[in-house]
Amino acid sequence: MTAAATTADRATALDSTSPRASLGYSVYRRFIDGIWHVEGSLALVPGDSADDAFDRLDPLFQQTGTTRDRAGNSLTFRKQGQPAQDKMAVFDGGVLRIEPGAAGLVLRYRLASRALLFCFLAPLLFLAFAQATIVLGKFEQARTEAKGKKPEVKKPPVVLNPIDKALGAPEPDPPKKKSKKDEDDKKPSPTPAYVFAGMFAALYAVGRVLEDRRIKALFRRRLLGA
Amino acid sequence: MSGVRVGNRVIGAQAPVIVGWENIPKVEGGPVKQIFFTWFQPTMLFALIAFWFYAPNSIAKASTAIGIGIGFKVLLLGLEWLAPRHESWRLTWKELTTDLFYVGIGFTVVRMIDSYIGDGAMIEAIQHSFDWEKFAWFTGLPLLVQALMISLVFDFGQYWMHRGMHNWHPLWLAHAPHHYITQLNVNKGAVGNPVELFLIGLGIGGFFDFVPRAALLAGAFGLAVGTYQHINVRFNSPRWWRFLFNTTEHHSVHHSQDYEASRSNYSNTWVIIDRVFGTCVDGEAELLGMEGGRPMSVRETMTYTFTEGWKSAKERFGRRSMGAMAPAPMVPAE
Repeated sequence: MTAAATTADRATALDSTSPRASLGYSVYRRFIDGIWHVEGSLALVPGDSADDAFDRLDPLFQQTGTTRDRAGNSLTFRKQGQPAQDKMAVFDGGVLRIEPGAAGLVLRYRLASRALLFCFLAPLLFLAFAQATIVLGKFEQARTEAKGKKPEVKKPPVVLNPIDKALGAPEPDPPKKKSKKDEDDKKPSPTPAYVFAGMFAALYAVGRVLEDRRIKALFRRRLLGA
Repeated sequence: MSGVRVGNRVIGAQAPVIVGWENIPKVEGGPVKQIFFTWFQPTMLFALIAFWFYAPNSIAKASTAIGIGIGFKVLLLGLEWLAPRHESWRLTWKELTTDLFYVGIGFTVVRMIDSYIGDGAMIEAIQHSFDWEKFAWFTGLPLLVQALMISLVFDFGQYWMHRGMHNWHPLWLAHAPHHYITQLNVNKGAVGNPVELFLIGLGIGGFFDFVPRAALLAGAFGLAVGTYQHINVRFNSPRWWRFLFNTTEHHSVHHSQDYEASRSNYSNTWVIIDRVFGTCVDGEAELLGMEGGRPMSVRETMTYTFTEGWKSAKERFGRRSMGAMAPAPMVPAE
């Protein structure tokens, strides 16, 4: 068993999985932590010991970039540079602990994911890009007005080739004078940044629920063979 | 691993690569699945060409093309989910989110920079010195000829830019992060350092003036052919298709962990350009990436070009200045 995770790491991680009430965690802190932490519990197969459970889960932690440390009834793991093909790639570390429950032993886990945190923050980044685009647009407008209008490039009217005419392609519109709307269309628009901000907000909501369920299903499959 | 000799090169000596079309697996499954994945690519290409050829002027515009592009990519993401080519390339939430981050950077920051110093700005500056009457012959050509010329000229530029990236260290520093991807999915083409996204976006096709409809038709080639470079779906591409166009198979060879294999198939759409210049390798690979498949984080992808560039510059110029101060090298006595 590798012992790369330091004792200090283990202590911090274990503390973070202890019942929050006893640690004085506020609801506010719990909400903040919940942004990038996934936690849950699963009952073990009756008769299985902590060793049996960790043996079943062990292949999940024998991946490139993963270090793990077993100490009694708990397992601490860290992932660095985990490959995309790792089934737990979305998580960067966490603690799994076997505790006695009402109807036998229970696996409790608390896993941290930087990917979830970054996805949560990504909308803010794209909103900042949108604001930067607006500011730059105003700056550009002032600069263009100061410079004066560029002379328009004269282009000859486009005539459709006889082959295209015969095939029934629509005739191109005659060249028109550039309107203010055309000029506005050319300016950088903040819309894509707003769209991506919304997209990442939606992706976060999906990911927070999906990854929670996926890891539970993965642990269940390993522990129960379901 | 012994590899396979292709021309002067040995492909697959460092990592597994299947060489030769006859060795590539076919789509497995029932007759409906076989027919669907055999005819999907040509049907979509010809449908898009027909659409842009006949669409009324009120519809044939850039905003429609953007809408079709998004819809087509969503459809391909659905195909990836339903029928993945390799289980090891399956798209996860983390991969999708990461890929979309790079797509977002391309649509916002890179586009903004591009408007100042990109090809659009350069072309606009040069176009002001053109005598447009001299270029009327091009706009008088049949639409499909114009579209083919735009697509080929643009891809020709991309071919040399991409080949340059694999052969000249400063350009390689911009392109290298893209080669750390270990699987191909629909949005993986956007993964890379923003400097690369900017460089690869530079095109020389824009120097021509053309009927707007011809540009939309040329875009159809990019969408209905170029998109398949990065995708986790297996198609039974027709023989003529894989002779003319770049395919997932070609591009997987390009992304292989095998060094020699990665120096092939540089074109974006028209693999025939690679055939002409002797850089085409027909085949496929599943094991992709660099440094044995080491993944590159978003932070490293964003900084790699600059940090490695600084290291390289220091090494090169530092050595030179050290060399100037150092005593003359010892010459062995005769």
